[in-house]
Amino acid sequence: MLLSGVDRNRRLLTAAAGFLLAAVMGLVLIIGFRLATQIRGNVGTLQRASELETYPSVVSQQLTALRERLDTLEYTGHVHAELAASVHGFDRDFAALEREHDLDPSAMHAATALWHSYTPVLTPVLAYHGEPYSDTATNSSLSRSGRVFYAHVRRAELFAQANAAALHRQLAAVSASLQARTAAAASRLRWLLSGGVLAVLLLGLAAAYLQLARARGERAAREAQEQTRDILATVREGFFLLDADYRIGAVWSKALTHMFGRENFAGLSFEELLRDRVSPETLATATKFIKLLWGERAHENLMKSINPLGQLEVSMDNGRGGKETRYLQFDFHRVTGPKGVKHVLCAVGDITSSVLLSRELHEAQENAHSQLDMMVSMLHSDPLQIGTFLDSAAAGLKHINAILKEPARSHGEFSKKLAGLARELHAMKGEASALNLMSIAQRVHHLEDMVAELKGRSELTGNDFLPIVLKLDELLAHLRGVREMTLRLTALRDNSPSPEATLSTPALRIGSSGPEELAATLQSLARKLAQDHGKDFSLTVNGLADCPRSYLPTVKDCLIQMLRNSAVHGIEPDEVRRAGAKSAGGQVRVDFRRAGSGYELLFEDDGAGLSPETLKEAAVRKNIITAEQAAQLDNRAALALIFKPGFSTRAEVSMDAGRGTGMDVVAKAVYGLGGKIGVSTNPGRFTRFKIALPAASESAVA
Amino acid sequence: MLREEELKTFVDGTTRYFEVAAQQPATIGSPYLLEGEPAMHDYTGMINITGKREGVVYFTAPRAMLTVLLMKMQESDFSHESMRDLVGEVANTISGNARRDFGHDFVISVPSVFAGEKPQISQPAGARAFVIPIHWRSHSAKLVVSLT
Repeated sequence: MLLSGVDRNRRLLTAAAGFLLAAVMGLVLIIGFRLATQIRGNVGTLQRASELETYPSVVSQQLTALRERLDTLEYTGHVHAELAASVHGFDRDFAALEREHDLDPSAMHAATALWHSYTPVLTPVLAYHGEPYSDTATNSSLSRSGRVFYAHVRRAELFAQANAAALHRQLAAVSASLQARTAAAASRLRWLLSGGVLAVLLLGLAAAYLQLARARGERAAREAQEQTRDILATVREGFFLLDADYRIGAVWSKALTHMFGRENFAGLSFEELLRDRVSPETLATATKFIKLLWGERAHENLMKSINPLGQLEVSMDNGRGGKETRYLQFDFHRVTGPKGVKHVLCAVGDITSSVLLSRELHEAQENAHSQLDMMVSMLHSDPLQIGTFLDSAAAGLKHINAILKEPARSHGEFSKKLAGLARELHAMKGEASALNLMSIAQRVHHLEDMVAELKGRSELTGNDFLPIVLKLDELLAHLRGVREMTLRLTALRDNSPSPEATLSTPALRIGSSGPEELAATLQSLARKLAQDHGKDFSLTVNGLADCPRSYLPTVKDCLIQMLRNSAVHGIEPDEVRRAGAKSAGGQVRVDFRRAGSGYELLFEDDGAGLSPETLKEAAVRKNIITAEQAAQLDNRAALALIFKPGFSTRAEVSMDAGRGTGMDVVAKAVYGLGGKIGVSTNPGRFTRFKIALPAASESAVA
Repeated sequence: MLREEELKTFVDGTTRYFEVAAQQPATIGSPYLLEGEPAMHDYTGMINITGKREGVVYFTAPRAMLTVLLMKMQESDFSHESMRDLVGEVANTISGNARRDFGHDFVISVPSVFAGEKPQISQPAGARAFVIPIHWRSHSAKLVVSLT
């Protein structure tokens, strides 16, 4: 800015000096030309005046010669003619001299008067045309006219002799004045030329100085440009300016080339720069944001807080022909001038290391928190139950891996795996939640999210399962960590000398958890669910002691899912219960009893019940049945919809509901034992599940 | 923990080999975690990795698949040596892909090739092996990645 101002002033001064130089030279030339013209005129006049000075003596000599010829009776014709020519010449030149300006007027006046006094005496001489001699046979003599002519010549001779000197003086005075004026003009011309040369010299010096200063300025500007170029080539951030049309200016830092994989950015719009690198939504938000920056009233710090490009994930060349994921941060600063915002300066930083570091830090913190939470949960739980859960989770993951291992090439084969994965994961999450092992529940929930996302895809390949198998590995590692922690805690509790000693204790053997522990787990889950969902209800569990040990894992899975359903869908909030004239706290009952040769498990809540219409609407919304099929379903068939895979009345997915996997899991588990499941409901009053199980083998009965 | 991009680099290296050498891309099957002893096919090309990650990556394929692959590559030599060279080349392509994507973070060994004999696989402690089935035409091979 400063540099260009100084440069502009120098340019103006140089132009002014050049203009002055031309003006002075023009003036000198014009005046000099006029003076030279004047001097040349004066020289001509002076020449004529000098010639005129000779005429008085010439006329006088010619008159004397004429008189002498008359005395000797010689021929006078040619002398008379010369005299006439001299007088005529004098008249002509004198008249020309009179026409000249700037002559000494007094000398000129005196010369004119004197010359005019010649006229009366010269006129009779010049007017004579006759023969001055009369000849006889013996001699010649002046004729009568000759004698008159002689008298006129003699008179003129005497007059000329008397006045020649005076006329010469006057003419010399005229010449002298003319000479003086010519000398003065010559002197003026000399001064003018000297002055002109001096002025040209001075102006030339000034112009040279300015040119030098300009060259120095340009050198400084070049150096500054070079420095700017060096900075832009070296700096690790990408810098560029956006104009009012949101286009990139002519200068940008080299880092930008690497960040965006292109060489030329001039004139590129901000939208074009980001189009293939961000989602259309982010691009639209970013474009709006840039437009806002041009608003005079937009507060820059406030704008910074809503910057949508604070952390942008992009895929970049890694310099070895491959691609890598980097994180870029865009900062925007307004460049203002007297007329408002001129440009927006964009600084793009590669924040990959800090993003990865903060992610690692966050993960480490999360791990530390979850381990702490886990430890707290373990301290409040029975190690036997946790051990049982870990065994069952390990079995579940083994089953998941077996599902993954089944060969698949087509979309259908891949799709089939998803349903199995969802069921296993949902059951595992339910158990983890029941034991308040939230770090496990959250990880499983995340895996469920991934599976659910794949379910929505129209084309599935093995590539889509890579993240799932990685997440599975992570979950396995986490479970291993939890198991180790459990062993250590058990060792501490038992005051055992080493954790390895407890590995062989029966406490952590598969299936070691009994009916009492299950009842406690259910009570604990009920309390947690009530708290999480802001519901008030109590759980009554009866008869679990009669449950065969081989049925316990299935019964547990079923009860956990049904309890979660009751907490989320069944039991109404207090105000709804009050409005429906129901008791403030909800009731959930579990009854297990022998029935004939087998068993019966009853699960009942006094909640909102199931509305066949609501179930049908949800099934249509989830694309489980069409609207036409829904219209043909009777109430019994509508209730059976809850056992369909993927069915849920919840629009959003949460930790406890919305996946549409819960009752599907229950039904599958019951069918797996050769049992049956039925549901009955009274909308607004209750929902009841009746599960019939066949007799278990003797060895498995507790 | 192995990252998805890292796993993809090895997978892409393998499928790309089929695409370039036989002008017919390979697809991948459902990936899973290896349990127990690795199931090896007739020929195995393996690279060892040290540096930022440590472990092994190997490609193991049945003779039938390699024969068809050689035929598609207009080769007429179906000898034992050709098969060995072929799995070695696949391992080399995987290695090249890894070098391109990971640079100096990974130090990758020269591929070693096993045929018939049980390979000496030094799987790193604590690292689980990921098995990615590679399907090409009617044949199937396996890519196994086990890195810390």
